[in-house]
Amino acid sequence: MKLKNKHQIISLILFGFIINGCVEPFEFNQETFESALVIEATITNELKSQEIILSRTFEFGEEGPNPESGADVRIVDDTQGQFLFIENEAGIYVSTSPFSAQANKNYQLLITTNNGRSYSSTQTVLTQNTQIDELYAVRETNDDDINGMSVYVDSFDPTGNSKYYRYEYEETYKIVAPNWVPFELIVIGDIWPWCGVSLIVREQPVRVCYNTVESINLNLTTTNGLIEDRVSQFLVRFLNSNDYIITTRYSILVKQHVMSREAYVYFEALNAFSGQGSLFSQIQPGFLSGNIFSDNNPDEKVIGFFDVSTVSSKRLYFNYEDFYPNEAPPPFIVNCIPYAPTLFNATGTACGELISGLNFNRIVYIDENENPSISFPGPYLMVLRPCGECTALGSTIVPDFWEE
Amino acid sequence: MRYILTITLLLLYTWVNAQDQVVKMSISFENSSLKDVLISLEKNSDYHFYFVEEWLSSDLISGNYENETINTILKDIFKETDINFYIFQEDKIIITRNNIIYDKLPEGFLKRTEEFIVLDDLEDLEDEGNNPVFYTEIKSVKNAKIETIRIGREDKNNKQKRFILNGFVRNSITGVPISNLAIVVKGKNMGTVTNDNGYYEISLPVGLNTLEASSLGFENLLKNVVIYNDGRLNFDLNESYESLEEVIVKADADKNVKDANTGVTKINVKIIKNIPLILGERDILKVATTLPGISTAGEGSSGFNVRGGKTDQNLILLDDAVIYNPTHFFGIFSAINPFTTGDVNIYKGNIPAEYGGRLSSVFDIKTKDGNTEKFSGEASLGPVTSNIALEIPVVKNESSLLIGGRTTFSDWILRSLDEEELKKSQANFYDMIAKYNHKFDDRNDFKTTAYYSRDEFSITSDSLYSYSNRLFSLRWDHSFNDKNRGSLILTNSQYKFNIEFDGSSDIDFKLGYKINETEFKINMKYLHSKTHRFNYGISSKLYAVDPGNIEPLNSESIITTVIIPKERALESAVYLSDNFTINDKLLINAGIRYSFYASLGESSQRVYEEGLPKSESTIIDTLNFNKNEVIETYGGPEVRISARYFLTTDFSIKGSYNTAYQYIHTLSNNTTVSPTDVWKLSDLNIEPQQAEQYSLGLYKNLDNNSIELSIEGYYKRTRNILDYKVGAELLLNETIETEVLQGDGKAYGVEFLIKKNDGKLNGWIGYTYSSSLVKLDGDFAEERVNGGEYFPSNFDKPHDFSIVANYKLTKRFSLSTNFIYQTGRPVTVPVGNFIINGSEFVLYSDRNKFRIPDYFRLDIGLNIEGNHKIKKFAHSFWNISVYNVLGRNNPYSVFFVSENGEIKAKQSSIFSVPIPTISYNFKF
Repeated sequence: MKLKNKHQIISLILFGFIINGCVEPFEFNQETFESALVIEATITNELKSQEIILSRTFEFGEEGPNPESGADVRIVDDTQGQFLFIENEAGIYVSTSPFSAQANKNYQLLITTNNGRSYSSTQTVLTQNTQIDELYAVRETNDDDINGMSVYVDSFDPTGNSKYYRYEYEETYKIVAPNWVPFELIVIGDIWPWCGVSLIVREQPVRVCYNTVESINLNLTTTNGLIEDRVSQFLVRFLNSNDYIITTRYSILVKQHVMSREAYVYFEALNAFSGQGSLFSQIQPGFLSGNIFSDNNPDEKVIGFFDVSTVSSKRLYFNYEDFYPNEAPPPFIVNCIPYAPTLFNATGTACGELISGLNFNRIVYIDENENPSISFPGPYLMVLRPCGECTALGSTIVPDFWEE
Repeated sequence: MRYILTITLLLLYTWVNAQDQVVKMSISFENSSLKDVLISLEKNSDYHFYFVEEWLSSDLISGNYENETINTILKDIFKETDINFYIFQEDKIIITRNNIIYDKLPEGFLKRTEEFIVLDDLEDLEDEGNNPVFYTEIKSVKNAKIETIRIGREDKNNKQKRFILNGFVRNSITGVPISNLAIVVKGKNMGTVTNDNGYYEISLPVGLNTLEASSLGFENLLKNVVIYNDGRLNFDLNESYESLEEVIVKADADKNVKDANTGVTKINVKIIKNIPLILGERDILKVATTLPGISTAGEGSSGFNVRGGKTDQNLILLDDAVIYNPTHFFGIFSAINPFTTGDVNIYKGNIPAEYGGRLSSVFDIKTKDGNTEKFSGEASLGPVTSNIALEIPVVKNESSLLIGGRTTFSDWILRSLDEEELKKSQANFYDMIAKYNHKFDDRNDFKTTAYYSRDEFSITSDSLYSYSNRLFSLRWDHSFNDKNRGSLILTNSQYKFNIEFDGSSDIDFKLGYKINETEFKINMKYLHSKTHRFNYGISSKLYAVDPGNIEPLNSESIITTVIIPKERALESAVYLSDNFTINDKLLINAGIRYSFYASLGESSQRVYEEGLPKSESTIIDTLNFNKNEVIETYGGPEVRISARYFLTTDFSIKGSYNTAYQYIHTLSNNTTVSPTDVWKLSDLNIEPQQAEQYSLGLYKNLDNNSIELSIEGYYKRTRNILDYKVGAELLLNETIETEVLQGDGKAYGVEFLIKKNDGKLNGWIGYTYSSSLVKLDGDFAEERVNGGEYFPSNFDKPHDFSIVANYKLTKRFSLSTNFIYQTGRPVTVPVGNFIINGSEFVLYSDRNKFRIPDYFRLDIGLNIEGNHKIKKFAHSFWNISVYNVLGRNNPYSVFFVSENGEIKAKQSSIFSVPIPTISYNFKF
């Protein structure tokens, strides 16, 4: 339902010319910073090492996150089951043994931080298990007049109990370096006057790589208000036709989490607060109470929601030719026009751009420069690294699941 | 000089005309009452009689006249009575009772009063006929010498120190009594006011007194009265020649000081004509916000905050019917047509017992009565809207139809813009009003109004929003006798909005919301005596709310039809108030209102487990109620008491105490008001709001009431005001009570106002220092906001200063300016960032902990009146104004968005550059 977008719809500039309403950046002098514990805790019905991430809020303009280390993290259920978590990386706590959330059990998250404060969640049960019916990709022009690939999901819960859904995806795409050659240029001397390079045969095949990226937004939908509990043509991912990641073969794994109403409301509000503001009316933001509270001080702000959800996933593959037959591939991520940097600088008093480019792993060899000229002064034709070495964009290891 | 000449000629013309009267008529009657005779005369001639029935004796008379002039006939039939008559405008005859009796008339006076037949003599009035000042009456009064009049014969046996002078004051041209005219004794702190019949009575110390009466629209009156005994003195006031530039009848100039109510503001539409405009619109409600105590959350937010109250706490009445959303286009324009509007009375302190149902204020907007004599109209052309009002007499001198309409050109403007984003959008609105008034006789007056306004806007190509107000009112004023008057009022109002979403997917829908209320009210006035004036009545209102339905727009849509059940309720009240004049100085207006509310079925109401926050999981029972079954009742007494004490004749102190209930609430999780906010009735789970207010103020009028000074302080507490849990979904929510919080409010402030009503330089300066706080506390974290402590409301603006000034350069040109300064309103801002699921989010501060920058704005306007040639078809009026001359980019709201995982602060403003507009108005 699009109702949630009410405020966004009313948001745009009306009468722009006459009223001259405008939205512009605004310098806000942040005067106070509040530190609060942030808990990312979603456990699922998948049998795996479950993961809980703890961090603290960080100041406006700083780089985050700010991991919370040294905490004691555990989940207990109402049948005396206990699952301990240990800190794997800073702020990332992983269950000591794999487990899956079971239906009809109550789970509670308990955390004691380094400074001795303890936090606990409310009792939470696993949600209805509903499978993704279909995952499909369509080439179309979207509402913003952009042509591209839409990845849709359909799902149906005949029991009508699921209602609240969250989608995550993991996309994997094949990258073929367009200017790959079996040779590479290595630096053998970079201290003037010993500036030298050597052309060797590549040891590693770096022509074809794969890259996997996880979704980072909270993609939520609900069937509340519909005749049946049916998610139909829900857009999980839209890929612009000009996006280089669909150049050869693309795959997406979509995970459907069925959430509790409370979790949905929490994440939905979180989304709404950071969505487009509105010219005429602004949604009242504020601190959102999740289901995790401080045991020591009930007024302490704790961010996050302990969500016990079922997960269903499906994977989809498509090739560029399937949808774009006889069309030129999308432009590569970087410009692959060759150039010929020199070994020494213009005055001959230092090593040239060729050496520094190679040292910074910025450029790769594609060919000899047979006729050096003013615009192509150097001995070799070079391109930016991604054009010749796919490892700049991904990994050469073929993922386990990959199907050609 | 030219004007004076014109008037002289006019008078002469009437006189000559009167001399020419050769219409003769024949009539005979036997044993008829005077009234019947007059009626039959009226039937058989073109004459119209104006009289008060009680004055005509019930004695039966007989007569037979053939080919006599009306003058002769009337003279004869009134021979034995104390009745006078006066013929003017050829066919109008005003019957008066022994009012102006001169046994010696000054020379020359006869010329003007030849048709004024003196039939009865009273002895106790003397007039110094040798004073030729009567000649100057037709000149501007500025040049007049003060006439001296002696009253009564000196009686040596009379040792009294004071004598009573009484008499009538009438309009010299129409003979209409002038009521509420303040007559003061110069330099003696004494005064009186004429009653509805123009009658006055004043006790004067023996000897010389200078009586002064001044009223806009009439020439000033200045008479030396030497009083020796009780006596009578009548005045005929000339209409002021300034009438050509619209007469401002300012009869109750001293109301500010005299009235017992605190916190009353009256806006006269004619006065606001000259203030600078936004987009060429003369806007009564915008003017209201420049007065202390009334504000809005910002430009482009509809709704008013009165004395720290929420926007849903104002009772906005248009001809007695509630208007739910009195604005167009997000509050930028008001939906009240300025051409058809008469007065607006705003009660923000003591609300008279007659009104109820809202906590903070009453905006009583009255449409003016149409002209019953001649067809007239007014129209304006502005850059965004155009407006027309017509006054059409239906039965001459009895009834008239007033119609008004406004529409906008904005659609056309939006389409002609270059910006792609705006081309897709559309916005248009219109409003229409029709009022019919019929004065059947002196005792029965009937008025009916119909009003409709509609807004439609769409900002994206796939959605269309619309909202409309519809109202209808019927009012019958009846006067039973001199002491008892009553009004029967029937109104119906409807507000609705619709959202249509027609995108490309299968979730196209149509959503509608509707509230309808019908009120029946009987309002009675009983003028018991000079000391007691009672007002009492009953009212009953039936609400019907359609909280919303959502329907699929087409067969492909999988949206299910959801109809949130209707809500119905009955709100009734009885009230009684007494305007009790204890003595010359102390006036108490004590009122009590008992309101009673019943929420009615058919409905299902949820019962929640006690001691737990309301949520879907804590429902323990669902109660079903049949149609008209009472679900829950609320009610209680509401106290409305205020008092005025005169410290001196033009300096008073007033205080009031007020309580109120409100049974209807708006649901909005926006910081400002949006047209899709819904109204919710109190029910099993939502209790009515309550308020109590104390106010105290000092009022002083200077310079013959032309300057009003006031300072008024208030302290207000509210209970059960509605707020929401953070992130609540309010539209189409069946279990809305689970999202709602009811908290307490507290507001206090001091308001200063200096107002100069006339003169070359006029206008006002207002300043308010106020505070408006809210407390949302509960047993559970989710029910607490800001730890359950008081925090500033969204519209808390401690300093609010405004100047509205108008300077008349010449008769045709005037310059006007507005200056507004307000503290920036509170906002909730991010105080930290965090990452969840790879996305960056923000942690918000306590609610309303910070403020946006202060607001200030300067507008200037130039008004050009067309020339004043009397014979011209229409009077024209140009207004050129520049809104926000300083081009200040006043932020309206500040918000924070997450763009590509980074938080950015943005501000939005509505009018960020100077907006010049020109509008043309004409009147015919």
